[in-house]
Amino acid sequence: MVPDVAGSSPVIHPNEELETVSVSDALWTTVVWNDPVNLMSYVTHVFRTYFGYSREEAERLMLQVHHEGRAVVATGPREEMERHTEAMHEYGLWASVVRA
Amino acid sequence: MIVLEFTTAEVELLRTLLTQYDEILQQPGDDPALERLFPVAYRDDPDAAAEFARYTRSGLVEHKSSAAGSIAAAIAGGGSVQLDPQAAERWLPVLTDLRLIIAHRLGIVRDEDEVPRDPLGDVYHWLAELQTYLIDAIEALE
Repeated sequence: MVPDVAGSSPVIHPNEELETVSVSDALWTTVVWNDPVNLMSYVTHVFRTYFGYSREEAERLMLQVHHEGRAVVATGPREEMERHTEAMHEYGLWASVVRA
Repeated sequence: MIVLEFTTAEVELLRTLLTQYDEILQQPGDDPALERLFPVAYRDDPDAAAEFARYTRSGLVEHKSSAAGSIAAAIAGGGSVQLDPQAAERWLPVLTDLRLIIAHRLGIVRDEDEVPRDPLGDVYHWLAELQTYLIDAIEALE
């Protein structure tokens, strides 16, 4: 799916155009946000079982959510990020789709 | 196998919570508790968020409701429950959703908010203990 670029500047300099093209195709993210309810062990468990992250990586991401308020847990095409976000909602995690 | 032993009172409590959970899930629209069960998927784009909700909501409701149904079935015969890890895995999101709903009722919105020392606060803690027990048991069998 091609992202909506209506908000971008109409004045495009050559270098920026290159960047816009490379970014527009793929780069969306699934972001998980901190909440005061979910247990740290559960968030880590979900990151391991759903995404297949190692325990170390899952714990790193969980701690990032906890301390920084959010973490990017996946990057890729928009439809894939929507599937991940839906899955996170199924698990009860607070996730959204964010343009990279 | 993962073995759980609930008291009669705990079975009754779980049964009541699951019934209420299913009622909340089936509600249309905008009970504030629903906002956290079905979060906004695009924070800066209301149209995309609405479209996402349109495509995902009914599937999520169905999935959550069916997971709750399998817990209700597991405790239908009493407090002695045996689960394989896969079945136990299905309990976890339901326990999370129950805690999200109770947290909303208790006004817990920030990490530093304290859980009140009252019956609902006790239920909130009990659900966390149950979830922790299940996670440990599942991971011990990996």
